[in-house]
Amino acid sequence: MIDLTFDRVGKKYRIYRQSEQNRAPALVRKARELMTGWQDFWALKDVSFQIERGEAVGIIGHNGAGKSTILKLLYNITAPSRGEIRINGRLAALIEVASGFHPELTGRENVYLNGSLLGMKRREITQKLDSIVGFAGVAQFIDTPVKRYSSGMYLRLGFAIAAHLDPDVLLLDEVLAVGDAEFQAKCIERINQLKRNGKTIVFVSHNLAAVESLCDRVFLLRQGELYSTGPPRQVISEYERLLAEMPAAAKLSSVTAARAAEIVSVSIFNAAGRRTTTVATGDAMRAEVEYKVHEPVADAVIELYFYSIFGNLHCHFSTEVKGEHLRLAAGHGVIEFHCPEVLLEVASFNIEASIKHRGSAFSEHIDYKQAAFLNIGQGKPVHGMFYMPHSFTQKAVGVQQEIDS
Amino acid sequence: MRRTSVIRPPTLTAANLPQDLAKLAQYRDLLYTLSIHRIKVRYKQSVLGICWALLQPLSMMLIFTFIFSYIAGIKSEGTPYAIFAYTALLPWNYFSSAVSNATNSLVSHSQFVTKVYFPREILPITYVVAALFDFLVAATLLGGLMIYYHVRPTLNALYAIPIILILSCFALAMSFFLSATQVRIRDIGVAVPLLLQLWMFATPVIYPLTAVPRRLQPYYELNPMVGVIENFRQVILHGQAPEFRSLVIAVVISLVLLFVSYLYFKRVEATMADII
Repeated sequence: MIDLTFDRVGKKYRIYRQSEQNRAPALVRKARELMTGWQDFWALKDVSFQIERGEAVGIIGHNGAGKSTILKLLYNITAPSRGEIRINGRLAALIEVASGFHPELTGRENVYLNGSLLGMKRREITQKLDSIVGFAGVAQFIDTPVKRYSSGMYLRLGFAIAAHLDPDVLLLDEVLAVGDAEFQAKCIERINQLKRNGKTIVFVSHNLAAVESLCDRVFLLRQGELYSTGPPRQVISEYERLLAEMPAAAKLSSVTAARAAEIVSVSIFNAAGRRTTTVATGDAMRAEVEYKVHEPVADAVIELYFYSIFGNLHCHFSTEVKGEHLRLAAGHGVIEFHCPEVLLEVASFNIEASIKHRGSAFSEHIDYKQAAFLNIGQGKPVHGMFYMPHSFTQKAVGVQQEIDS
Repeated sequence: MRRTSVIRPPTLTAANLPQDLAKLAQYRDLLYTLSIHRIKVRYKQSVLGICWALLQPLSMMLIFTFIFSYIAGIKSEGTPYAIFAYTALLPWNYFSSAVSNATNSLVSHSQFVTKVYFPREILPITYVVAALFDFLVAATLLGGLMIYYHVRPTLNALYAIPIILILSCFALAMSFFLSATQVRIRDIGVAVPLLLQLWMFATPVIYPLTAVPRRLQPYYELNPMVGVIENFRQVILHGQAPEFRSLVIAVVISLVLLFVSYLYFKRVEATMADII
């Protein structure tokens, strides 16, 4: 039984450029822009696949490979430009929709509002209200306007509503990024439960470990095309190979202008010295930045930025932490950053690299590009944002205890 | 029983109409919840609450009475100017607030539109429903005015119901067209309040239809709001049957526009999330 079919599906976006004739009046410029100032960009090209009932399929690929376009098409948020999509049964997306909350309304009213936004009937919501509120852990505050909620309560309630949908086909988009560890465990349990009940699942994620544990089959997208499909382990290692080759692609993405120096590639090595894209929390890691210098730079700074998939900067490596001098002579060179212990939580990061003159503004860098991709796997347990190195000792406090009791 | 849905590239066609309407019916609970929510939110934190629905047409009536009747001396067909103006302001305000709020409905809910699927026409419709609610609240004051001015309603006043129905269709048609266009051309949001102001003066709200030169009337009546407002006043204040010619024009134009603008809306909806 086939639940989802993509039949030669293509999706075209129109990308508008700001036109360059700045002296033309605004109206003329706007008209010109609307008529000729755009380029077609195919986010998906001729993608065909079928997904069986009860199958859990993971979709992975670089940013911009077309993963979220597939989700948007399946969820009918936008229509394809070509081809045909067939969906058998009721489809729902397990996504956080707390942004749809109205701050003035109470938790209860917002559950009704959001539930019906996701296609639930009022009767159905009334039946599930207690369970939703329990799942989110906001029972005490259900008649409080949500503007008084903490951001965590907000997100949990939004997610709890989506988790109570009863679909035939479930779409998941980076669900594991919501809430604290305890809440995430609940979400994963809920997803596993749906899977055991034979629901068809489509999971789009950067979290390769999660994809591997949840999915029966994985699709790898590359530049809008279905690059390969197969068992999770096989496709994920194929993806990791692609990631390792990425500098070539990254080079293309950087603006080719006359510059004094440029980033050639960034590579990550694990404790064993093997090149990788995955390290576990607590492991040692080495990052190599290869650069090419056209004109010598007297006082340079090379930095790596670790961005979450949501675009938040989590940390950075820099050659000027203690004010060290870095002279770049013409030719090729490599900077190695040594990290004795990776303290990031389980998540995926885009690594962006920059070369700049010391003291210059961030925007005045010599070169800047997205250079690599890092996946943090399960290692030392992280509850919260990052692992803080610590140890403990136990001391006898007999006298104190006697006084207390 | 599982339903198979097929998604294809969008086209401007009426073939999908039954399917679209079925989807809309399927989401009626959302329509209900969102409409209630609209009404609640509007009055929740204000001290005067629901009274605002009365205060708006009431203050407009007082101002218009002072300016147009007391200062400019506009005739009002034998009825006191205050009730003459209020009877027209009531449906006009319904139309005007429905259209101006609905125009922004898609853009102001871009976080819904880009994240969740539901028939998008629900957003403009809820604003029309909320405006209808305000209309009904403000209509109670009309009752009060009729008692005060000793205007005795006849059975013909029941014609007000189909007239408001036609007005609702026309308001929906305008709302679909303007909100969908607003997604691409944001100027619409700025232009609509101005357009509505001009439109009010092109409609017999502050003056009677008889004040319009006879030779201009055939063109004047192409504005569906003329048939609606004039007949609303006729059946309520004068207790007469509606004037069918202008009413039929309003019905035909409203229904045709509703059909066309709904098709247009559904075509724009298909890729709305890409540009909003």
